[in-house]
Amino acid sequence: MAILGRVENNTRGQFVWQEGRGEHLFPSMFERVKMKIFIHFVLAMVFVNSYLGADSLFLSLVQNMTNNLFQNRLSEADQVSNLSFSLDKDFSSFSLFSSGEYSYLFENSDVIYCSLELGMDYLHPLGGKTALYVSLTGSGTFYKEDYRDFNYLNVNGFMALKSYIHQTSILRSHYSFVYRKYRAPLFDYWSHGLFLSVDKYFQSRTTLKGELNWGFKYFTHPYQDEDADVELERHVFHRGMGKGRHSGGSTPSRPSLESEGEGIQIISLSALLAQGLGNKVGLNFSVTKQMVISGQNPFESVYEFYLVENPSYDRFSWDGYEAGSQLTVLMPWTVNLKIGYTYSNKMFPGIESYSLEEESLGITRRDRRGRIDLRLEKIFARISVFVHYAFVDNRSNDPLFDWNGHFISLGFEWNHFYGGQQ
Amino acid sequence: MKRRLFLLAYLLGCLIISVSFGQKSRHFYNVDSEKKIEGRIQDIKMEPRYKSTAPFLVIKLAENGTQTVYNVEISPIWFFDQDFHKGEDLTVIGSYYLTDGKTPSIIAREIRYRGRTLALRDKHGFPNWRGGQMKGKARKRGKGKMGL
Repeated sequence: MAILGRVENNTRGQFVWQEGRGEHLFPSMFERVKMKIFIHFVLAMVFVNSYLGADSLFLSLVQNMTNNLFQNRLSEADQVSNLSFSLDKDFSSFSLFSSGEYSYLFENSDVIYCSLELGMDYLHPLGGKTALYVSLTGSGTFYKEDYRDFNYLNVNGFMALKSYIHQTSILRSHYSFVYRKYRAPLFDYWSHGLFLSVDKYFQSRTTLKGELNWGFKYFTHPYQDEDADVELERHVFHRGMGKGRHSGGSTPSRPSLESEGEGIQIISLSALLAQGLGNKVGLNFSVTKQMVISGQNPFESVYEFYLVENPSYDRFSWDGYEAGSQLTVLMPWTVNLKIGYTYSNKMFPGIESYSLEEESLGITRRDRRGRIDLRLEKIFARISVFVHYAFVDNRSNDPLFDWNGHFISLGFEWNHFYGGQQ
Repeated sequence: MKRRLFLLAYLLGCLIISVSFGQKSRHFYNVDSEKKIEGRIQDIKMEPRYKSTAPFLVIKLAENGTQTVYNVEISPIWFFDQDFHKGEDLTVIGSYYLTDGKTPSIIAREIRYRGRTLALRDKHGFPNWRGGQMKGKARKRGKGKMGL
């Protein structure tokens, strides 16, 4: 498939899509999508929900604060207000649902985005001990200004089977399919995922669980057309890091393999040990080993942002392991406390480390990360409120990604049911 | 194109309207008959409970001390969300009623186990679960939410 357009910097050094030879309907459609669609969508859905009999409306408002939005050594602080809703209508085993999310960033207004989702799901029991769940979802995420090239439309199919193979043992399997089309075709992909888990509960209040995950992600055209002379400065992917760390490094992908796709295949194994200490305390330990069994990241760099998706990073990006533990405590007045610690060691195949002077270090990027989480939640009659704090310390052989950061969230969730009381 | 998107949203709204109809239940959540039970799971199954909803996850819970066995109805979709096992201890708060005039049953509003609280319904008995919940868990991981 030819790339009918290109990504380049405009006069403000921003990241814009330039339509190239021929018409590519998808980018032009994005040009016309505005944030106010979100508001109209919400109003339409609330109208339907309030007056015409949908079942429930769920609202949440979360205020997030961090001193490192873009998660690198330059530590750019920001606040993110996140408003989301979802509503649904059940009819027998089917339900229709929709949801929306609007995120407002105080300092980086060009990263403001909204997401909309429509879907349906179906729950079907297979005897008394097994059930099948199927869902089909269409969604879109739309960014403002600089990040418009990360706009995407998404189709997601999901199927799950859960079965009690014994009263104390559960078998669970999932299949998922994702097709995602970005405004910048570089990032387009489809993926398949398979998941299998088995657990066993013992009378000592111990649960053991094993999980197997397989996934394949295929970037349909991650390489640039040489003729298109695409220029993607790294600051495009990571604002605030300074312009053109790889001066002349041009693209997020390796040049010259025009129109060729690239797949990444991963497999992971996880083990979990959970121990109940009475009804009020739970403790669990988990470890995951993930391997990239074929392919590698097609881009030159991988970025994670706080609360904002970046198409260069997801679960397919790394090879390594994660280990974590979590303590949950049920406190008086229905207050839930969770304390967690996670350590990860991730290598990013295909991603080279660079010095701060923009010279290749000749090694593959590897991050070692420690993370502490603390969350308190109080459940009231109709709403729940929570506060969440996280500290992340990321050590990388790429000095740009040697960083640490504090993350605080305050939020409330409200569920309103319109249907008949059951 | 914007018009198309609006049209799409409104069409979905119409779709939701078209499928909405009143629900008739055999029993209702009665806040006056609420009780709290601590017990141990004896059996887990999915059963039809209401006319216009998917089958419910139903747990047989033997009350500590009296050993009275209650049928505790949880919710439809949470069959997937939560992994209950035979032998696990639960504390359930919910509306008590008798099935067929003899079997003690509970419509669960809140469940406490493993140091966690699951709020299945609000204090008036209105459900907290919603469509797409199962998939939503995975979807929200990378965006809008972080951590625990």
